[in-house]
Amino acid sequence: MVSRLRSAPPRYWLIAALALVLAGLPFIVTSFESSEWTLVLIFTIAIMGLNILVGYSGQISLGHGAFMALGAYTTAILVSRYHMSYLVTIPIAGVVSGAVGFLLGIPALRLSALYLALATFALAVVTPSLIKRPDKLTGGVQGILMTPPDPPQYAKDAFATLTNGPQMSSEQWLYYVSLFTGAVLFWVAWNMIRHRPGRAMRAIRDGEVAAAASGINVAGYKTLAFGMSAFYAGVAGSLYGLSTGYVSPDTFPVALSFQILVGAVVGGLGSIVGPMVGGAFVYWLPIVSSQTISAQDWIPSQISSVFVKAGPAVTYGALLIVIMIFAPNGIVGLAAAAYRALRSRLRGSGEISTGQLPPDPHTV
Amino acid sequence: MQEFLQLVLSGIASGGIFASLALALVLIYNAMGLVNFAQGEMAMFAAFIAYALIEHGMSYWIALPLTLAIAFAGGVAIQRLVIRPVERAPVLTLVIITLGLATLFNGLAGFLFGYVPRSFPSPFSVQTANLLGAFISYQDLGVIAVSAIVLLLVYLLLQRTTLGLSMRAASHNPDASRLLGVRVSWMLALGWGLASLVGALSGIMVAPVLLLEPNMMQTIIIYAFAAAVLGGIESPLGAVVGGLIVGVTVNLAGAYLVGGDLQLAVAFLIIVMVLIVKPNGLFGRPSVRRV
Amino acid sequence: MQLLEMTEVRAGYGPTQVLHGVSLAIAEGEIVSLLGANGAGKTTTLRTICGGVRWDGSIKLLGRSLHRMSTEDIVRAGVAHVPEGRGILTDLTVDENLRLGDHLRRDRDQVRKDYGRVFEYFPVLRERQHLSASTLSGGEQQMLALGRALLMRPRLMLLDEPSLGLAPLVVKSIFEIIRDINRIDHVGVLLVEQNARIAMDLSTHSYVLEVGRVAVTGLSSELKNNDAVRRSYLGY
Repeated sequence: MVSRLRSAPPRYWLIAALALVLAGLPFIVTSFESSEWTLVLIFTIAIMGLNILVGYSGQISLGHGAFMALGAYTTAILVSRYHMSYLVTIPIAGVVSGAVGFLLGIPALRLSALYLALATFALAVVTPSLIKRPDKLTGGVQGILMTPPDPPQYAKDAFATLTNGPQMSSEQWLYYVSLFTGAVLFWVAWNMIRHRPGRAMRAIRDGEVAAAASGINVAGYKTLAFGMSAFYAGVAGSLYGLSTGYVSPDTFPVALSFQILVGAVVGGLGSIVGPMVGGAFVYWLPIVSSQTISAQDWIPSQISSVFVKAGPAVTYGALLIVIMIFAPNGIVGLAAAAYRALRSRLRGSGEISTGQLPPDPHTV
Repeated sequence: MQEFLQLVLSGIASGGIFASLALALVLIYNAMGLVNFAQGEMAMFAAFIAYALIEHGMSYWIALPLTLAIAFAGGVAIQRLVIRPVERAPVLTLVIITLGLATLFNGLAGFLFGYVPRSFPSPFSVQTANLLGAFISYQDLGVIAVSAIVLLLVYLLLQRTTLGLSMRAASHNPDASRLLGVRVSWMLALGWGLASLVGALSGIMVAPVLLLEPNMMQTIIIYAFAAAVLGGIESPLGAVVGGLIVGVTVNLAGAYLVGGDLQLAVAFLIIVMVLIVKPNGLFGRPSVRRV
Repeated sequence: MQLLEMTEVRAGYGPTQVLHGVSLAIAEGEIVSLLGANGAGKTTTLRTICGGVRWDGSIKLLGRSLHRMSTEDIVRAGVAHVPEGRGILTDLTVDENLRLGDHLRRDRDQVRKDYGRVFEYFPVLRERQHLSASTLSGGEQQMLALGRALLMRPRLMLLDEPSLGLAPLVVKSIFEIIRDINRIDHVGVLLVEQNARIAMDLSTHSYVLEVGRVAVTGLSSELKNNDAVRRSYLGY
């Protein structure tokens, strides 16, 4: 056991440390800040799902906001109209979204990457109007209100005892619900990636024709990826609705789908830790960007004031372009590259130089 | 019957707008195999530029070509500065970059002009003419006329001039074109410029109808996608025909079938059905899948 | 001053080096053949001259170094390359392909006369002018490529396997036309061919490449009659 611990790659330690920090967070920060981190976790879950689709099976979706909406509305309708227990609705929301995603994954098989992006983009734009129509069910433009769930008594008491302070708030409880859900879903995704489905999907991503030729059920895995990613997005949407207490067509605009994709890419596609990094990035960037940019002395004040006044969108867009040009493997990719460079510097070049010429940009 | 004719005619007018934006998408797709998700936002920004020029006293008929020229230059600049460094990147990276551009333009427009919708001055009166018993507004007629003229000029440029020939060659086969002395890189930049110009036209034409605001083009781009996909994403002619078909169909469907609020869903349905049944659209070439 | 002078050129794709120091020279108006087995580096040599491959060494066109020049600029300096596969733009018509040959020229009267010659050599091109180039057969595409190269009025033509996949009679007529163009327009030709015999019939000098180096060079007339060379390098 000890030897296994010692030989575990650094990444495992990182994840364990992260889990510890996350579990203890509500003890350290305010209740409001816990709710912010809940949203980060929600984004992370959605991004994990998209990561499976894009990073592992190589299909693009610009419409995952629609699946979040589906999950959120499923929960909202079940809770407010059918008075179901909200905890039960979370997996139900996931299943509903997952099923729809799986079904949509079937025609998606026929679309090339670009056309799939186009079709899912159109889905994202259309979603608000599709929600508004059946207004008896969805509450139309006004949406559905939900009361924030009360933590169970044992949790309230435990929290009060441990912190020697107030009982657990609804926001903190939702934080733990999201954390637990996220951890479970992370574990599921991680295992899937490490075993055959993950390998199969990566093979498909790297070359569909070759994968098919080696006997992999390409269609099966691709639709599975679609369904799984939609499941994750549905769960995230359900949690989103619960934590904000309100769903309406306007809470699921195109920008949301875009944010999830950005989070997946910036975090680093196909990486394990990427989704969390991406989730944090996507949540905090709009808030932090205006503050940090104006704090930079080296940017002339005229330019930085443009960024501040223009709001997050301009910074977002500009930053995204810059990242895509210079670091297309996302932050995790950058970090991994830096880590490798640092390690080889520290350990000395133990690797024998292969004498290869560097890749040549001029080749025809 | 009269109502039907009116719907068809106004559908043709919106079709002209969709056709322009769809043509922009097709031009860039031909140049780089990429769908420019920022095309709508670029068009919106151009409309704002036109608005600003007119507000400063310029006549519409001077502001229009000037804005088109500015849009052209802007398109070239974007290709040189943003797209060219990542020309060989995978599709996903390029898609995200264009999404980034879209966000950038949207935010910039919001910053510079605010989010309050404005009315855009139009040189065409809102009165209606009586055409074959149906009433069609001069506005719609004007849109049809201007769109037709600009699209015709683009057609002549691409098909009848040496420059257009070089641009087409560069997008179809850059390697072979280089061996013929075509400056491929610049031709791609010109392609972006031209696409930007045509897209700007659609923005300026639609602004008087929709009210000018940063999110103006977000639904129009979906109609343009439908038009481009229906016509065949590689075919400029397909973009125009597709635009007209989508314009009329959506109008009719909105009036008779599903109601105005689901017109966008109709466009979405067109996209999905075409992509599943005949992905190359009406005029597209069947492509061979390269292994 | 030579039309083309390559000195100790090394070139390759990424980590793989293909040319290991190739030197050759072409005089103005001369036809030179470049022979050798598959993989010897013949096509790479042509690509290198046109700037499609990263290279080291010296390449000069009429005394002017081609180092760091882009493909299009090298072409504009007077080099026409008909690649393997002919480089026909199949999305365009026959006429449009031809027009891409002369699109850089200013002397419109001469261009008109040149079109006359092209259609005289290759009547099928006039018949199919307005049809898509994809409707042409292999031999006809080769004719289109050659006609287009003629219209470019280059100083140097690089021809990569013009006989590939063509019937013997067609090959014969195409090579006669190449000889004609060379004679009338004083165009230098670097001819890459697997069919060593007709290449040597056409050319004054020959170079035989082997694994990226010049193994043998000399007058075509002499090499043709040299049994040892023919057997070891040319396979017949």
